[in-house]
Amino acid sequence: MIVSTDWLKEYIDIDMPLDELADKLTVAGIECVLKETGKRIPEGVVVGRVLEKAAHPNADKLSVCKVDDGSGETLNIVCGAPNVEAGQRVPLARPGTRFTPDFELKKVKLRGVESEGMICAEDELGLGEDHTGIIVLPDDYEIGRPYNEYFSSGTVLDIDVTANRPDIMSHWGVARMVSAVTGAAFRKAPVDLHEHGPDIHDIAEVHIENTEACPRYSARVVRNVQIAPSPEWMQERLEAVGLRPVNNVVDAANYVLMETGHPLHTFDHDKLEGNTIRVRFAEKDEKFVTLDHKERVLSEDVLLICDAQDPVALAGIMGGTETEVDENTRNVLIESAYFAPGVIRRGSKQQQLSTDASKRFERGADPNEALEYARDRLAALIADLGGGEVAKGAIDVYPEPVEPKKVSLRLDHVKRITGIEISPEDCRATLSRLGFTILHEDERSLQVEVPTFRPDVEREIDLVEEVAMNHIERIPSMSRMTISVPEAYDRFHPYVTGIRNFFIGHGFHEAVNNSLTGEEAAEKGIWGYPPLKVMNPLSVEMNVLRTDMLQPLIGSLQSNAAKKRSSIRLFELANVIEKNDYSETRAEEHYNLGVLCSSPLWGLNWAEEDKAAGIFYLKGILHHFLDDLGFHYKLNENRNRDEFEILYDIVVRKSVVGKIGQYNEGHFEKLQLKYPVAVMELQAGKLYKWYSPEKKYTPPSPYPSIFRDMSLVMDKKVKAAAILNEINQHGGKYLVDCVLYDMYIDDKKLGDDKKALSFRLEFRSDTQTLQDKMVDNVMEKLFKQIKHQYGAQLR
Amino acid sequence: MTKETILEVRKQFEEALNRAKDPASLEKVKHEFLGRKGKVAGLFSMMGDIPPESRKEMGKMLNKLKDDLSEAVALRSEAFASGKERAKRIDYSLPGYAVHRGSQHPLTRAVDDMLSIFERLGFDIAYGPEVETDWYNFESLNFPPNHPARDMQDTFYTEGGGVLRTHTSPVQTRYMSSHEPPVRIVAPGRVYRNEAISARSYCLFHQIEGLYVDENITFADLKGTIELFCRLYYGKDVKIRFRGSYFPFTEPSAEIDVSCFLCGGKGCPVCKQTGWLEIMGCGMVDPNVLKAVGYDHEKYSGYAFGLGVERMVMMRLGIHDIRILFENDVEFLRQF
Ligand SMILES: [Zn+2]
Repeated sequence: MIVSTDWLKEYIDIDMPLDELADKLTVAGIECVLKETGKRIPEGVVVGRVLEKAAHPNADKLSVCKVDDGSGETLNIVCGAPNVEAGQRVPLARPGTRFTPDFELKKVKLRGVESEGMICAEDELGLGEDHTGIIVLPDDYEIGRPYNEYFSSGTVLDIDVTANRPDIMSHWGVARMVSAVTGAAFRKAPVDLHEHGPDIHDIAEVHIENTEACPRYSARVVRNVQIAPSPEWMQERLEAVGLRPVNNVVDAANYVLMETGHPLHTFDHDKLEGNTIRVRFAEKDEKFVTLDHKERVLSEDVLLICDAQDPVALAGIMGGTETEVDENTRNVLIESAYFAPGVIRRGSKQQQLSTDASKRFERGADPNEALEYARDRLAALIADLGGGEVAKGAIDVYPEPVEPKKVSLRLDHVKRITGIEISPEDCRATLSRLGFTILHEDERSLQVEVPTFRPDVEREIDLVEEVAMNHIERIPSMSRMTISVPEAYDRFHPYVTGIRNFFIGHGFHEAVNNSLTGEEAAEKGIWGYPPLKVMNPLSVEMNVLRTDMLQPLIGSLQSNAAKKRSSIRLFELANVIEKNDYSETRAEEHYNLGVLCSSPLWGLNWAEEDKAAGIFYLKGILHHFLDDLGFHYKLNENRNRDEFEILYDIVVRKSVVGKIGQYNEGHFEKLQLKYPVAVMELQAGKLYKWYSPEKKYTPPSPYPSIFRDMSLVMDKKVKAAAILNEINQHGGKYLVDCVLYDMYIDDKKLGDDKKALSFRLEFRSDTQTLQDKMVDNVMEKLFKQIKHQYGAQLR
Repeated sequence: MTKETILEVRKQFEEALNRAKDPASLEKVKHEFLGRKGKVAGLFSMMGDIPPESRKEMGKMLNKLKDDLSEAVALRSEAFASGKERAKRIDYSLPGYAVHRGSQHPLTRAVDDMLSIFERLGFDIAYGPEVETDWYNFESLNFPPNHPARDMQDTFYTEGGGVLRTHTSPVQTRYMSSHEPPVRIVAPGRVYRNEAISARSYCLFHQIEGLYVDENITFADLKGTIELFCRLYYGKDVKIRFRGSYFPFTEPSAEIDVSCFLCGGKGCPVCKQTGWLEIMGCGMVDPNVLKAVGYDHEKYSGYAFGLGVERMVMMRLGIHDIRILFENDVEFLRQF
């Protein structure tokens, strides 16, 4: 919403600097920025007079003019405009004029004749799009005067109107706010209405079919109007607030709209069939051509203004072409009505058409004072500007008048909410400046009548807000704080922080991915969840919620690979969504951890060879991670996914809580990755339910450990995990650790179906120093067991 | 004595040398092998038994053994000398291993920083779902159906009637529905807006919601808490401005501006020449919200606030295109 400060001063005196006023309004809840308008003409453009016009010697379409620029000098100017003539006053750009920061006008030779400047067309000065000819100025323009001075250099307030304040969408509303913050009195422009001729009831009638949708419809008729451009002052004001002047009738209606905030419509009275206005809802698929020349197909939600036969306007939204006021219009019917906000909102949504009128009606216009004032004011203005006469009386269909609400305000309640005492005088002053009426007052409360232009104020708390916002700077900051201690503090955030720090510590970057993804990616999700669809997506690539962490991480892998990032180590913590028909929202959220690694084990360095951090690296990370959290886990191979070279289900407490695997080498062939892609995903939220941050201490054994190595040769097809498992099961109570530290394959020495695995076992007791012999016995038994089970031999 | 005997001594020496980790044990090795009664001397004393035809060759081997062993002992002895001298032998200027360095995403980092401030002020942390019901996201927060206030937030709807929460405010009513006052929480999380993706807006962002409801909570308490937060987060010299605003779920409502920390309040492109940066919305919990969760609004009052994390992070880091926060380019991430 743009408000002209010059125009505003018609309704209120402003004694303070405008930037200070803008700050005060902003603090009081009317967020606004002060902007300069006018001053659009570049410096160097002056009013010039064409003294002579001659044909260009070398070009048919050009002429050579001698132009007086007021300085006593005469400039020689080559001009291509067909309408240039001697004697005209014209905007003249002298050499040195800067049209843009990069374009400075210089003397140039055009087809062999020197041109010392330019006579300007509209488009060259940014005044319009016309380039058919130069601008010809009125004869009273002073030669040599900067052209800019002929433009009103005003200031406007650019206001960000909040959704609850339809009243602010007008100069009146802003003036009332100025009154509240400065104390100056708000005043309306007087309406000078002279009625002549026939009674309106003899020349027009109004019927409302649905008074809930249209509680009030009022009309006046102005006869014998001369359609003409509106006066310059009105055009300037409309332009200042961003409206394009059309003619005196349309401009006057817009003027009153911007003044009062009440939307009006003007019909060519002679084009209204049967001189009748009928307000009804549209029929299904009824068609109507609006002023923007679009044929609209309507739904039954759209309220229509009709004449005796056809629709003539979308009520409260936009008029139609058939009854539009044009240059031949003689008699004008003014509509000043009140439509139910919900009706206008539905219609505007259904037609995807938002106008100055619909924006105000859907937030709530004033059915009473502003409606009447605007109707009469517009009639008077049209009569004044168009030389017409206002027919006697007004039609006013208003079966059930909207009564102003009465709300009481307890002063101790003001204190309960704001924390400060605001005196009854201050409350009263603020409220009455805002247009509220104080009906009754005692030392403890005010009885307030809420004006009907403030539909947002209904309750005591709303009055508290009105008062508080105008005293917001007075409210102190409490430096003594009260604290309410909850029964238990959240432990989830520390848990998540622990996970995050673990992966950061292991050299992973935390990623944040879009939760919205395409169906294709969502269906590839590692959990196989059905995706939840977004009904109104931004695009097909974002029409469902992600079903796993891995697909978005793979997206990040791809974008990084495209930039040749060679070490890609990412993790992310977020929700994935499973569509679940039994949930109220059909969504079940799982808080998961995703990890992706396509990187070398070490960064490239001089001492270690360039090895990939693949699945075995990630298995190590996983082990460490779950061990830290105190979870025992099992890995079960999962053969359901072809894209994986190896994939395991991670099982904790007999339920699958994660996946870990490595993609087939060829799967990302196009990305030309240097390292294989290993990934894992864990249900961090689910694990949290079983997680206890409490740890118990076990005293470390004071006795030394005994180490034993065992190298075994066995069939290649025997799984290492099976042997490890065997050792751990049969290693006896003193076995504290077993590490597989070497794997050896040599088809010549061992045979092509054999491999050798070496284990280092650590034995320790909490109660005694172990004897070599005891350990040797265990080792011997262990070996026999493995030999028996797997046919392994000592190497 | 045979060649094998010599090789055996050599092998024994190498093993012994490897075990010698300090000058004292090296001295022992030297004594054992090169001493007057050492193993090498022992071998020399057996030269007499060697048949004349191979005596010359064996002599050569023995001398070589003695030289090699002496040199090895000398070298090791030098190595045990001061560090400076050792450094001459090993090029310690070789770079360290390229250890992977991880990083926290600037968004979650900012969330953590802010949460930790509120935790110090006694707020607990609460959570809510991202796919919300219309009731929690709108109605319970005093957004009536078909109200223009719903246009303030472009909403994604999901199949089956849910919405992607447009703010973290539904956590307020969720939490209050299941807890009796007093409640004092902050709720971080992702929120969604159906806005075209551009340099300035993304379809999701992070918010932190705050809520305190108890007896006798006033706007002055809200001001105090927010001012303290801003001083802790932005530094003690920051200036704070409360200005009136509108949110359906608070009344009165306000926006909070802090003095622009880039220009110090003089005006710059980031603050659009105003000298102020808008950082959060807040207000006193609307009685309709308290009613919706079954609280007695005549007994209890409270404040709520909500701030957008992306905005804060972008201002702090000087990021002009929000999309970089969701691209996960490792060259971006490693800077944090
Ligand atoms: Zn600034």
